[in-house]
Amino acid sequence: MTLLHFQLLSAAIFCIGLYGVLARRSAVLVLMSIELMLNAVNLQLVAFGAFSGFGTSTGQVIAVFVITIAAAEVGLALAIVMRLFRSRGGVNMDEIDVMRG
Amino acid sequence: MEQAWLIPVFGFGAFAFLALFRKYLPGQGKHLSVLAIIAAFVAVWPVLFDMLDKGVGEHHFPRDWFSAGPLEVGWGIIVDPLTIVMLALITFVSVIVQVYSLGYMRHGNADDPRVGWYFAVHSLFSASMLMLVLADNLLLLYVAWELVGLCSYLLIGFWFERRSAAEAAKKAFVTTRIGDVGLLIGVVLLIVEFGTVDVIEIMNSLGDPGVNQAVVTASAFLVFFGAMGKSAQFPLHVWLPDAMEGPTPVSALIHAATMVTAGVFLVARLFPLFDAVESAQLAIAAIGIVTALMGAAMALVMTDLKRILAYSTMSHLGFMMLALGAGGYTAAIFHLLMHGVAKAMLFLSAGSIMHAAHDETDIRKMGGLRKRMPVTSAAFTVGALALAGIPPLNAFWSKDEILLAVAGGLNPVFVVLFLVAIVLSALYMGRAVLVVFFGKLKPENDGVHESPRIMAWPLALLAVLAVVTGFIALPIGYEGIGTFLVAPGDKPHAFEVVPVWLVASVVLALGGLALAYALYGDEDTSRVDALRERFARAHDVVANRFYMDHAYQWTIDRVVLRVSAFLALFDRKVVNDVGVNGPGLSAVEAGRRLRYHVTGLFADYGLGIVVGVAILGALLWIRSVTG
Repeated sequence: MTLLHFQLLSAAIFCIGLYGVLARRSAVLVLMSIELMLNAVNLQLVAFGAFSGFGTSTGQVIAVFVITIAAAEVGLALAIVMRLFRSRGGVNMDEIDVMRG
Repeated sequence: MEQAWLIPVFGFGAFAFLALFRKYLPGQGKHLSVLAIIAAFVAVWPVLFDMLDKGVGEHHFPRDWFSAGPLEVGWGIIVDPLTIVMLALITFVSVIVQVYSLGYMRHGNADDPRVGWYFAVHSLFSASMLMLVLADNLLLLYVAWELVGLCSYLLIGFWFERRSAAEAAKKAFVTTRIGDVGLLIGVVLLIVEFGTVDVIEIMNSLGDPGVNQAVVTASAFLVFFGAMGKSAQFPLHVWLPDAMEGPTPVSALIHAATMVTAGVFLVARLFPLFDAVESAQLAIAAIGIVTALMGAAMALVMTDLKRILAYSTMSHLGFMMLALGAGGYTAAIFHLLMHGVAKAMLFLSAGSIMHAAHDETDIRKMGGLRKRMPVTSAAFTVGALALAGIPPLNAFWSKDEILLAVAGGLNPVFVVLFLVAIVLSALYMGRAVLVVFFGKLKPENDGVHESPRIMAWPLALLAVLAVVTGFIALPIGYEGIGTFLVAPGDKPHAFEVVPVWLVASVVLALGGLALAYALYGDEDTSRVDALRERFARAHDVVANRFYMDHAYQWTIDRVVLRVSAFLALFDRKVVNDVGVNGPGLSAVEAGRRLRYHVTGLFADYGLGIVVGVAILGALLWIRSVTG
């Protein structure tokens, strides 16, 4: 197991998440994809922290921060999705274009 | 003396109060303004006695106002003999004129509808003029200088319903403003060069090593240019005769006794500056004598009584400038005072005639008025004789001082020209008196009567003063005016009589009067008509005011307006359409086109971010590979 393995895995998860964010229609799935991207980044951070050899745990600490903030973000985002569902009767991202110029 | 700054405060207070509350006061508060100026007049005397007590000389009382970087600006005062005599003249003539105005601004039994405003501006004018003579720094002086210009504008255009009055006010303001631009540049040059606004400090460090003499020379000329505008010197004199559109008491106060002398005062206040620049002094003398001769010539041919007096004022202001150019500080200020008293009286007399004769100013329609208006005609005659230079009236003494100064300080050419001007002054004054007051009474003037007492008394008082004030030149109780009014850094000089000049000036003045009598002594106008025929061309030039108004009008029409039209076009097309509207319009257009790319869809924005990041990453990668 080398750093490269972790990086490849992280990149793969990140790309899956990115695809989901861009291509999925359902707001819930988009949210889940964002979570995937966040966790890919977390994996990267922890891996770098473990392999850096400085004897510090900065990477792990930042990962904990990211998890915390991700939790808060999911709470907020799910609330928005709920409001969307209530007001528009659906959560299809393609139909949400009130900001169209 | 420290409290001398209070003198203008009365006037400013009266102005503020009248400007706000005149509608609620009996008589629109006109008496309040008179009381304020009387208070200021009373307050001058303790200052004078305090100075006599503490020593005649320059007393400086600085007071802080604000500082900007290294520049300290104060609102302190200078009290010196020049200030004292100016304070006395301004407050005294203001009192006389305001009391007189109480009668003049009344027609029948009703006041002029805007009488409160009239008196409010009078108060503001007196206060500003007092501030001008007290100011110890260039900035405060400039502020006061502009304030008196503003009051002049407001009062010339007091009857702004008349188109000619509104035009005259505008002309006066714009013409003096041309001079003021010169003054402003000169003042700023001095402030920058010396790093201070304090007049005394600047005057004391004029010759210091390290001072750029070119700047000093330039500022001397520029400051004098400002004085030329205010004091109606050639070629900026054209506004003064038109300023006669204002009420006559205004002409007496502002355009004869005080404001027009501000230029003379300014040159006197900054006398060391002009003393240091010889070329500027010569220019002052030359402009002075040219103005004096032109004014006298035009006074000789005008038929409008007030314009005759206006040109006479211009001529006498020329005398004062000539004296300053000759280094005759004492003579100039002395003449300023004497002329102020005499000319104010002449204007008030003219106003008295106009008041009685329904605003008639054409002297050809007057004549024989002495039978109907004894006080007015006596006052006018005394004033005219004084300005003609007949002893022992006041302006004789000051004219004599000027003659001594010119003979002692300038080229003989100036002396000869000045003697010519003396003859001319006697001639035009004699003409005015003879045509207006002597001869047969015209039938249309049969109903004319003496003015009310409130106008007659000020005239009588001024007439007495015109007789006695000249004696302050004489060594009675002290060594003569030359030991009191001394230029900064000059030695006092005792009163002296040079018989040859004394005789010359008296003979010439009497000769001028005799000539006037020979020409205008009776009803027969054939002699004058013959003369006019004989010198028709010269008469045309002078009667058309040397075509200067025409030349200015031509310049304005053909040059100024054309250039302005071009500039206006440039402003509209380039500055406005391209410079101001251009960015706005292009932003609107850009928005109109870009809006089609704003879908509002999350996925599109996300893709944009991804593509952007990918490009940035690729660039970074390329850079790291190529090193």
